[in-house]
Amino acid sequence: MRLKKNIQYVFYPSIISLLILGYSNKVAAADKRNADTTPHTTQKQALQFLEIQTNLEASKFWPNVNPVTYLQNLKKNVEYPLSMHEGRSTNFCGYAALSYHPLHDDPLSYFTFMLKLYKEGKAVYGKEYFEPSKPVKLAAGTLTFKGELDVRPADQLWFLALADHFKGYLNTFNRHYNIGDENKFWPSVNFAKYNRMVRNLFNYKVTSVGADLIRPGIGDIFTYLSEGLQKGTVTVYLSNPQLYKKNHSGLKLSIPTHYIILTDIHEADDAIAITYWDYAGKTRQLFPESFLKKIIFGVSIASKRTTNAK
Amino acid sequence: MQNKTATILCLLSTLVILSSCATKKMFSSNYYFENEKTLTDIEQSYKKLYSQKPFSVGFTDKSFHYISLEIITDTIKYIYEFEVTEPRLQDTLRKYRLPIPDISELKKKMQLIQCIWINKLDYYDNNQKRSLIFMSIRKAVFHLPFTTEKYYILTFYPQPQYYDSEGNLLSSLRRRKIRKIKGDTFYRINDKVAYTISDKFR
Repeated sequence: MRLKKNIQYVFYPSIISLLILGYSNKVAAADKRNADTTPHTTQKQALQFLEIQTNLEASKFWPNVNPVTYLQNLKKNVEYPLSMHEGRSTNFCGYAALSYHPLHDDPLSYFTFMLKLYKEGKAVYGKEYFEPSKPVKLAAGTLTFKGELDVRPADQLWFLALADHFKGYLNTFNRHYNIGDENKFWPSVNFAKYNRMVRNLFNYKVTSVGADLIRPGIGDIFTYLSEGLQKGTVTVYLSNPQLYKKNHSGLKLSIPTHYIILTDIHEADDAIAITYWDYAGKTRQLFPESFLKKIIFGVSIASKRTTNAK
Repeated sequence: MQNKTATILCLLSTLVILSSCATKKMFSSNYYFENEKTLTDIEQSYKKLYSQKPFSVGFTDKSFHYISLEIITDTIKYIYEFEVTEPRLQDTLRKYRLPIPDISELKKKMQLIQCIWINKLDYYDNNQKRSLIFMSIRKAVFHLPFTTEKYYILTFYPQPQYYDSEGNLLSSLRRRKIRKIKGDTFYRINDKVAYTISDKFR
């Protein structure tokens, strides 16, 4: 009886202590997470770093990427971030869209990563370790008939490395790169994969609504997107064939296939005017609200973690 | 009962095969020579207007009642859609200083030969930036439901192109690699004009 009582004296305080400890650890972990700060560098810092890269030698890991054009491409991306082009007929739009984040908020980290990946064939970006496969290393610099992407070897390398590294359910049946796969399901980006990439690479706080096949059901789309723009960078996942009409088929599958970065929104007469960036520049277009609601399947808002920001 | 179902299926299959043959015949390269004057007029006037203000133009519906206009500036591309008779179309052309009579003439010619889209497209040849005029024509007289509509696409180049013995457009004579434009292979009409048949008009 006495032994049982002693056990009670030892057992219960221990459990309580463990629970408190567990809770405090959880709080500490949460605090630590909140204390994370999204890295921020300026265009000027990145360009200064670029200026000292004068002796970049040809990489044995990327045999088809010329070091001079590689640096020129990186410089262009830093100077004119909106000039990045996903390429004609490719499925790189998700990777082009997410590039908007580092090129605007942290070009130095992007630049440092790209240099290391070129020189050493492997590098770490955020929480991700990249060591692209051999077929991808051979393909970078050889993609042709893609318009502007033909002459942007650094963008080819970046898109191919991202697609090689991040996998989602859309890539289940085509996980390994073969020539021409850039136009197929190999680089496809489902909505959850897009959000994961933004979180893990750039340490943003990402909030999202919507899914790959179900519309988000936002009541007032104008207010939602306007408020999103106040919070951070807004990526919209939408049905491309309905955005850019390319045929007259009556049977249009309403599925999202394209990522755009929303840069401005305002009401105009009975419609909504949106300005967005997709490839190589900004576009402004007017839509009735019902149409906009019909084509949008996901909205992802990436806001900076600033708890410890100086 | 079984015989009746088989007969219906057989008739449907025949219709599909016949329609696809009819479509292919209509899309032959002869089309270019039959409409050469109008096609080159459209190409030339578009090129001239484009040099004044970069833009693309097309029709978004099968009946050619809705016009889509894309105005390209240094910083942004504006996409508009109007009914062809809407006054807002002229207001917009005026705003961007595009000559209204010339655009109206271009629009009429496009409607006449069912040209659904025209734009200027950049491409690279041995790292050199070049451009072509991309034109799509809708020529299906009838179109069966559940089948994909096809478009006759013409590309106009400022300089002679290379082709292989089968008439495929090549990227260069030395490499003899078949050039793809928007994922499609193109075929020779003459040294500076190539065509393909595609299920997308742009």
